Amino acid sequence: MSADVALLDLRLRRRSMIGYAVGMGVYGFVIVALYPTFKNDTSLNQFSQGGSTVAALFGANGPLTTPTGWLNANLYANFVPLIVLLLTIGYGAACLAGQDENGTLGLIVTLPVSRRRVAAQKFAAMSLLAVPVTIVTALCVVAGRGFDLTVSSRGLIGVSLGVLLLGIDFGALTMLIGAVSGSRGTALGVSSALAAASYLISSLAPVVNWLHPARFASVFYYAVGDGQLQHGLSPTSAAVLLVVALVLFLSCAEAFERLDVH
Amino acid sequence: MTRQDSPAETVVSVEHLTRRFGSQRGVTDVSFDVAAGEVFGFLGPNGAGKSTTIRLLLGLYRATSGRMRVFGRDPRRDSVQIHREVGYLPGELSLYPQLTGRRHLDRFANIRALRDSTYRDELADRFGAELDRPVRTLSKGNRQKIGLVQAFMHRPRLLVLDEPTSGLDPLLQDEFARLIRESVAAGSTVFLSSHELDEVQRVVDRLAIIKDGRIVVTDTVEGLRRSSPRTVEFRFPRDVDPGVFAALDGVRVLQCADGRIVLSITGPVGALLHVAANLDPLDMTARRADLDELFLSYYRSDPEPEVDDVR
Repeated sequence: MSADVALLDLRLRRRSMIGYAVGMGVYGFVIVALYPTFKNDTSLNQFSQGGSTVAALFGANGPLTTPTGWLNANLYANFVPLIVLLLTIGYGAACLAGQDENGTLGLIVTLPVSRRRVAAQKFAAMSLLAVPVTIVTALCVVAGRGFDLTVSSRGLIGVSLGVLLLGIDFGALTMLIGAVSGSRGTALGVSSALAAASYLISSLAPVVNWLHPARFASVFYYAVGDGQLQHGLSPTSAAVLLVVALVLFLSCAEAFERLDVH
Repeated sequence: MTRQDSPAETVVSVEHLTRRFGSQRGVTDVSFDVAAGEVFGFLGPNGAGKSTTIRLLLGLYRATSGRMRVFGRDPRRDSVQIHREVGYLPGELSLYPQLTGRRHLDRFANIRALRDSTYRDELADRFGAELDRPVRTLSKGNRQKIGLVQAFMHRPRLLVLDEPTSGLDPLLQDEFARLIRESVAAGSTVFLSSHELDEVQRVVDRLAIIKDGRIVVTDTVEGLRRSSPRTVEFRFPRDVDPGVFAALDGVRVLQCADGRIVLSITGPVGALLHVAANLDPLDMTARRADLDELFLSYYRSDPEPEVDDVR
């Protein structure tokens, strides 16, 4: 199967891919390099102790001076998902609805490629977009071993896969909303709002009693909110994230078949 | 029409096609056929439904009702097979601003499994297409050239061209007309839309005029010309009775004063000349069939066109 449609879109976004990866690399390295300065600072733990909702809002739960606590609070519970979601939601809104609005999609879907294949290639491009940022962040964490910051490989791979699948899920959701509505703005707005709600539920569930059961409804919980950095990505969480991605992609392909392309 | 509409020869067949967009205008009950090897023009003012019909034919839109066939296939269900044989130039061509024309063409050629770039390069030369600069730096005309090259480069059996010469200078419009003739000689069929009569009448065999989403007439250019009113003016040495002219079939008196009479005539001119000759005319001028006037009469909402029997 020719990958030209995906390659075309990836080429158009290569600068932002590289830019985000470099930026994330710099930020990740700074976080890792700062760890020795903070690892014995017990006052830092007071910020998140006793179930602080403010700390939870920023994705910080539990002690912050442990390697996993430090990395979760500064990278995996907030910043890395944010960057990955910026990439996948941004592309998800642009690749169907956005390109339809600016007129370029009309040329693509009148080439001899079925709409299902166009949707599949754009889904693949969306998935690949998030890979460099995730890998660069993981490499920074690996470099943390030189700064007394050691996490298990299983944990690091688990949380990286979790973040990646989280981005893919929301990217696919954005593509679906774009394919149904034909509106880039609607796709961007609705899925950003849902991602924010999902983040809040997962972050606050550990400290807000009435939200506790709702964590199972949050994609963030299955990706980064369930101790993935300590224990890795559980098969159940991985299955949930994959099934969500698959269902959203199939729905998107179906909706795209029906979309009026201009 | 001399052409036989047997299914084997019909490349595009549209029957009672309707597409509504809520309160917006769409197209209503549109029917026409395009035979193999034909250059079919689709003429109408902006917003009449030309691009909507084209998008329906290419499977970009779904029809509300009616039946369409391109190469005997359904445009939605069999879009891949149809698109393999079609070259499409959109009415409002949008390319990727950051990419050069060459990158566009390379990518599209790859997707079409087109390995030989000889004809593509020849087309780019003929139109003077600028292929190595980012599209965002090109003028509308230069972008249109890239659009034309991508539509023709795989020698499609059907060319669907929406306002193809928009932005092109007159010399390139001539080159475009030559390219159309060459493509048809090589076996292509052309479906071409325009809001300009000049563009259409120099290349098409047959045309349909669409207005407010409905086809108002379908005929050959020659057929339309025959049906178009001609203007004839006589000068006589004295005042004449306009009634004797008005009584003739197909003749309408436009002006009559001081021995000068201006008439609009459709159909044969013999009877008129007999009547005029008996009145010893001093001078006579006749303007050739004015298609412009005919088209304008279709475009205008009022009055209704005089010629309505050419369908």
